[in-house]
Amino acid sequence: MAAHSIPATGDPGLQPERTALSWSRTALALAVNALLSLRAGFVVGEPWLVVVGAVLFAASGAAVAVGTVRRRQLAGDRLVITPPRWALEGVAAATLLASLGGIASIYAGGGA
Amino acid sequence: MRDPKWRDEGDEPDYRFTLANERTFLAWIRTALALLAGGVLLHQFATELDPRLVVTVLSTGLGVVAAVLSVMAYTRWRANEIAIRSGRPLPFSWVLPGLAAVCLLTSAVLVVLLLVT
Repeated sequence: MAAHSIPATGDPGLQPERTALSWSRTALALAVNALLSLRAGFVVGEPWLVVVGAVLFAASGAAVAVGTVRRRQLAGDRLVITPPRWALEGVAAATLLASLGGIASIYAGGGA
Repeated sequence: MRDPKWRDEGDEPDYRFTLANERTFLAWIRTALALLAGGVLLHQFATELDPRLVVTVLSTGLGVVAAVLSVMAYTRWRANEIAIRSGRPLPFSWVLPGLAAVCLLTSAVLVVLLLVT
């Protein structure tokens, strides 16, 4: 089944724009947590936390990319409504990874 | 890679509903990330707060809530998508009152900690 697309509607509610911006904001929130993970990794000297931080930065970049893709998909004469495949799953997985990394960072370096 | 089966069931809804559902999912994800950042920051920077055990439990709890919310964001998005495709009412979830309770509890514990430290 192909992605669902419709002719442009000139939506006065600006839903396409808000949806694309929503991805960008989510990318920022991911970047904040990436920084926190990196900091925790360097402070307590845990290389795996630095790795988690790097992965989260990559996820943040991916979310920026999805936001850009969404902005293009939802502009012009035809709007592609279906979100990109695996985009939502990917963001949810990155958030889960960030949570596990954050919990682990509390107990890292023997100092709870 | 095939589409999930539910994508072929029901009708394509009004596109505004689909986009609103996507934004709602992202809003839940951001909520999880914000709670997580709060927990990690609390543990890393509020080093003066005593007793330490309570701070650790609170930070861990916020991290666990973030993990639960990240999974729940996706399952709710999927359930909402299926419901609007088949024209059924959106499923009710205890997640919103639960989240409010978590915020209330966190605030209460922090206020007590600040007062006794």
